[in-house]
Formats: sequence, structure tokens, C-alpha cells
Amino acid sequence: MTDGIGSGLLEGYRVLDLTDERGIYCTKLLADLGADVILVEQPSGHKGRHRGPYFHDEVHPEKSLYFLYFNTDKRSITLNLEHPDGRDLFKKLVNKADVVVESFQPGYLKKLGLDYKALSKINPRLIMASVTLFGQTGPYKNYKGSDLVAMAMGGYMQITGSPDDPPLRLGNEHAHYPGSQYLAVGITGALYYRDFVSGKGQHIDVSQVEATIPYHIEQHQAMMWRFMGQNPARQGLNSQVGVPLGAFPAKDGWIGVLTVAAQEWDNLAQWVFEVTGEKAILDESLKGVFGLGRRQRYEEVNGYITAFTTQVNRNDLFHDGQQKRGVPLHPVNTVEDLLNDPHLKASDFWMELDHPVVGKLKYPKRGPFDGEDVPALRKAAPLLGEHNEEIYCGELGLTKKDLALLRSAGII
Amino acid sequence: MVKAKGILEGIRVIELGPYVALPLTGRILAAMGAEVIKIETMMRPEPMNFLPPWAPGSGRAEYDASKRRITLDVANPEAQATTFKLLSKADVFATNFRRDVLKKWGMDFPDIRKVNPQIIILWQTGTGSQGPYGNYKFFGYPSQYATGVALMTGLPQDALSATSTSYSDYHCGVFNPLMIISALLKRKRTGKPSTIECSIWKSGIVTVGPALLDFQANRRLPARLGNGDPYACPHGAYPCKGTDRWCVISVFNEKEWQALCGVLGNQSLAKNPKFATLVSRMGNADELDELIGKWTVNYDATEVMDRMQQAGVPAGVVAKGQDLYESPQLKARNFYHESPYYITNPTKPGIQWEQGPRPAIAGSVPIGFSEIPCQFSENKRIGEDNEYVFKEVMGLSDVEFQNLIKSGVIR
Repeated sequence: MTDGIGSGLLEGYRVLDLTDERGIYCTKLLADLGADVILVEQPSGHKGRHRGPYFHDEVHPEKSLYFLYFNTDKRSITLNLEHPDGRDLFKKLVNKADVVVESFQPGYLKKLGLDYKALSKINPRLIMASVTLFGQTGPYKNYKGSDLVAMAMGGYMQITGSPDDPPLRLGNEHAHYPGSQYLAVGITGALYYRDFVSGKGQHIDVSQVEATIPYHIEQHQAMMWRFMGQNPARQGLNSQVGVPLGAFPAKDGWIGVLTVAAQEWDNLAQWVFEVTGEKAILDESLKGVFGLGRRQRYEEVNGYITAFTTQVNRNDLFHDGQQKRGVPLHPVNTVEDLLNDPHLKASDFWMELDHPVVGKLKYPKRGPFDGEDVPALRKAAPLLGEHNEEIYCGELGLTKKDLALLRSAGII
Repeated sequence: MVKAKGILEGIRVIELGPYVALPLTGRILAAMGAEVIKIETMMRPEPMNFLPPWAPGSGRAEYDASKRRITLDVANPEAQATTFKLLSKADVFATNFRRDVLKKWGMDFPDIRKVNPQIIILWQTGTGSQGPYGNYKFFGYPSQYATGVALMTGLPQDALSATSTSYSDYHCGVFNPLMIISALLKRKRTGKPSTIECSIWKSGIVTVGPALLDFQANRRLPARLGNGDPYACPHGAYPCKGTDRWCVISVFNEKEWQALCGVLGNQSLAKNPKFATLVSRMGNADELDELIGKWTVNYDATEVMDRMQQAGVPAGVVAKGQDLYESPQLKARNFYHESPYYITNPTKPGIQWEQGPRPAIAGSVPIGFSEIPCQFSENKRIGEDNEYVFKEVMGLSDVEFQNLIKSGVIR
């Protein structure tokens, strides 16, 4: 089996990856599920190689931990699409590909003669998948974006942070996930449609802003405005959607508290009463599913709960709540906590991958999934142009002499 | 050849389970043309019916549009044969109930496989069934804490921060259909059906990947930078005219910086040694943010965005409900839909639920297929598709159908 072509749910499909940070998680998902994803890098290296964090803080294109995380199981070739010879090589690759994924500003590929219309003439079965800030159409289609802009315009920042502070972004560049995830769903759907319904390829257009909106639909922001003239706003650490729902201080850290079923509230109230002696928390009017009766008195209720949580250690709250008390408490974790977590270890969540430059690091072995039918990771991120020879010589029939020539001309 | 009506033409999915992620899974598949049959029961109405915003049931179109909705009380001991008959007609079974509950109902996965050896099973769990927390209950909203996201979010002086949304539910709700379709592709290729677990917790953990590697390599925990960014300056949310109005601006290169100074009408800013280079701007970021804020606060957020964007500076309004609903961009792309909703009343059978006084609003499934766009058909009443599903799909006679109603299997 060729290096990089593993077994998996998406085995046999080839994907050409032209994305930047907006689509790089989409192609990671496809690669980890078994597709043969070829990352097409500009000769100076993918944008992600030039940003941190870096291994041992050494600024080096093979040591970007950002790049390493998002490019597992991919192969890498270098190619300058702005050079006519580069475009010619790309078209040859398109001939053998099932999917091209890209995240350029709308219109850029058309200028290069590499838009869907042009490429589908070469390969009518091609699926072209685009993720951009606002999509390929509409008055804002040329607006320039970033994680921050997509989080803001997708309505997510409005509900993130504290009421008295500015709206906040999440600290994990969140806006790059929704578009990538929906695009991956779209690509698998389009493969199904092509192979088992119609025989046709197509173009998929995903907007990061539109993809971000359904990541907070429970706030129903548009409906709240349309029918109540209200705009849902930031609620800080204690939400009023349910009561209690939020992060509370524990004796030695923080604990996430919520109750869903009526019984879970009863269990929590009893526990609070046992620890604090506060009888008011057992009040009949506070009972019920999701805390409808508690919403009116959320400050009072959250006060009782804080008086309780601050007396107990985080792990005791978490495990006693889940195991003995029937209260679904959640730990507030750092990434260090996750790396040491006994459940994640025991459930085979991690897998060590060896990279020729940075060595061994642990990655999520099957992403968010479990089960024998889910493929495990196969290999660490590729070196820059690691697969040039394999693909250009092995598949397109170029000689090593040709490769040398193309390199000197800045094409690969 | 009949023209296909959906991307997933011919696929039938049975969805069983409440809350956010699982219903969202079916919503996405239904938008792509699969026939999604949602099993519910009046005995235990979906708890999400009772969440705000403004009337019980008004939020359901977001989750249940385009689905077939039936009432089938799988907890009724007489229901098993009917449930299995339905599952035998399906390609996919998706559920988020715990294994012990499914066993109690006689619906353990091996039993389902016996009835339908080809069925793909998507089992959504809290933490993943294997391991010491296998029976723990994990939910989407507090998963922002359990995944590390909350502790890397906030202003530098905060211990942590939070977002008012069920964080991982939405990741899991999109991972689920990804796996279902991938498993359909594999089944077509190999003939083998898959059983796949997707957990709420792990769906969020995979969104902090670079930080996981950073800790292993450098023993560093992510810093809370507010809206700052280690690779861009200025980069933040700036106050605009009005109450709680903001526009974000993120400048990643020299060209954008020069353009920003141009919009501010302040070329002296670009020459000021405090801000002239990227490194100096980073060092004086707070002062620069204040200067920009003094300018932005004189204008409407939309005007700040438009002026910045016209000059080539990445910028965007911090959108509220009104901005989303009135967005010219979202309107041009027909993002929002209207749908009737039904006022949930636990004391009455669902098909008698009263229709709400005005339509609910739901967004699109945001995948723009050029061949067959994602569909949106109105959210139905609970149980509205009983006759279609029990009679047409399952082939029950009217007598059999009525008997199931009498015995409380359909309720």
C-alpha cells in the first residue's frame, strides 16, 4: 500500500487540498477517515507552517504545532499555482482527483483559470468544495475575514463573555471549525450523490458566517429579535437559560453545574442542603425540569450553590455527583487535565505519532469517535514537499530531471 | 430516469433521542434529502420544547424541519415488534440513549442488527462508552468547561469565560452526519455496515488540538488574550455608536495596517514609532486599541465595517439578532426560513397541539450544493406522519394501526 493511502471509511477517494486555516480542518477530517488527501503547498510552505505555537518554541516550518495538528494523514506536494506550468500540473492532478477543497477569496481561482467551471471540463465527476467568509454570492462576498470577523458576524461573540465586558472570541479560533465541519459533511454527501444517485460532480459553497450561526441556535437570535424585539446578550459564567447552568468555584478550582431532569435538581438540592444546611434550596417552587421555576430566583439559587461548591474539591464534586448523587457535574479542565485524564487514557483516546523532526506527540486517535469501525490515525503531518517525487514522478510520469528543473523555476 | 430530489436520495434514517446534537443530526440529513423519521412520544415530550425563547415548541423548527415525525413509545413493552419492523426498513439508526436504557427497551444494538444486518448505527454518547466515565452524563453546554475551551477564553484578568451555547452539541451534531454518510459510502463499497460512537465531550476536545500539542511540547497552557491574537495587531472588538454595539477589526499585514490608517484619516499613526512596525504595534497594543476605539465610537458599527472592508481591512459587526435577521448578505442567500410551530402541551396528544400565532424562524443547513440545494420543509406536529410511516412505510393495515394506538404503542 502506498504511503498515505490507508484503510478507512473514505478509502479510495482522492482530495486535493488548497485550503488555508479556513478549510484545513475539513481536509483533516477527510484524511483521518481514510481519504487520500494531498496538501498542495506553495513552494514556501503552507501558511500554517509559519505560525505557532512551535515545538520547543523553535520557529521552523516543520515545527509548527498548529500545522502538525491539522495535517495528520495527509501527503504534501509543493506547487506554484500562479505559474502557468504549475497550473498545468495541477490540472493533471485534477484529472485523477475526486475532490478539490479550497478557501481562496471568491474569484481568485477564476483568475487562474482553475475555477469549478474550468476544472469540471477536465473532470466532470469532480467535486469542488469552497469555504470562504461569506460564500461565493451576495453583497458581502468579497469582504475579508479572519477567525475574529467570522465569530463576530456569525453572532457568536455577542453571546460570549460577560455582560459588562466587550464581546469575546473563544480562545481556540473557533470560527475555523464550523465551516470546515459542514463542508466535510457536504463533500461526503456529494460523493454519495455522484457515485450512487446521479453520476454528477458539483460545486459546494460554504460560508463561515452561515456555518457559525447554527452553533448557537438555542439562542434563536433572529427569532428573538423578530418577535420580541430583543437581542440575546452575554450571560457570563452563569446562564439563565437553565438554572443552575454554568461554572461555579470549587474549593480547589472550578466545576460545571447543570441539572436537566427534575430528579437531578432534587438530588443537587439535597446535596447542597446536606453540606450547607440551607433549607430554602429544598423549596417546592424551585423544583422541576430545566429550572423553569428557578429562573425567577437565579441569583438566590446560584448563591446557595456557590456556598456549596466552594466547600468541596472539584474532583469530589465531579465524581460523587456523577457516580453517587445523580447530578451531572462537569469538570472545568485545562488541556493538561485532558492529557492526564483517566477516562481518555483508558478509552484509547490518544495515539502517539512519530514525526521525523519533532518526534513523538499524542494526538486524538479517532477524533471524537469511538469504535472498531472508525479508522485510527495513520501518520503524522508530512514534511514540506515530502511526496513530490512519489506523486510527480510516480503518478504523473515526470523524471527526476524534470523535478529539478521545476524546482529551479520556482514551480515546485 | 426520475430526477433525484435530494443529495441523499433513497436513504432512510430513524432518529431516537432528545436535546440538541442528535436532532441536529437528523435535521442536516433531512435537508440533504434523506427521509428522517423522528421517533417521539407524548409520554415524555422533548425537554427542549420547554426552553425559551418565547413559547413552548417555537424553537423546534431549527431542529426538526423537514423530518417525518411519529409517536412511538419505545418504552412500552408491546412496542418492540413495531420498533423492529420500522428499523428493518431503515439504512441508519441514530440514538443518544444510554446502553442500559436501550437494553431495557429490548433495543440493544446486537438485537437491532439481527433484525437488520445492514443497518448503520450511530450512537451518540456523553463521554464514549468505554472507560471509567462510560456511564457519566455529559452535556453540550458544560462541555465548554470540560474540553479546556472555557479556560482559554476570557480577558487576561479573567480566570475563565463562557459562551451561552451548548458548545460541543453543535460539533457532535455535525460530526454525526459526517460519520453516517461516510459509513454509507463504506457500506456501498464493502457491503459492511458500521457501528460508530460519537461523544459530546470528545467532539469538543478535538477543537483544542494545537493547545494539546503545545502543552506536550512546551508545557504551556494557553493564555487568555481577550480578543487579541499572537499574530495580528490591531486585533479586537471596538466600541461603536449606540448601546453594546461593536465592530471587530483584525489586521494581519502591512497593507491592511496602512489601509486602516487611511480609513482613520490618521496617517501620522502609521509614522508614530510606537505603531510603525508590527513588533512595536504589538508592544503598544492597548494604546493602539484605545486610539482606534476613540474613532470607532463616533460611527455606527455597520458603517465602521463597510468603510474598513471597502479599504481592504478585515472587519465585521458583532452581530446581534437584529443584524442577523436584517443582514443583506443572509437575505440575498435566503438563509432564514419561516415555519409553523405547535405550542407544546404535555397534557394533550401532540397532533392536537395548537398552532402558534405566527411562524417560527429557522436558519438553513449551511451547505450550498450546486446540484440540489439543501431543503427546508415546515416543521410538523408531533405524530403528524404516523399514518404515512406506519401504513405506507411499514405496511400496517388500518386495524393494526388502530390497535397500536389502543395499546399505547403509538402515543
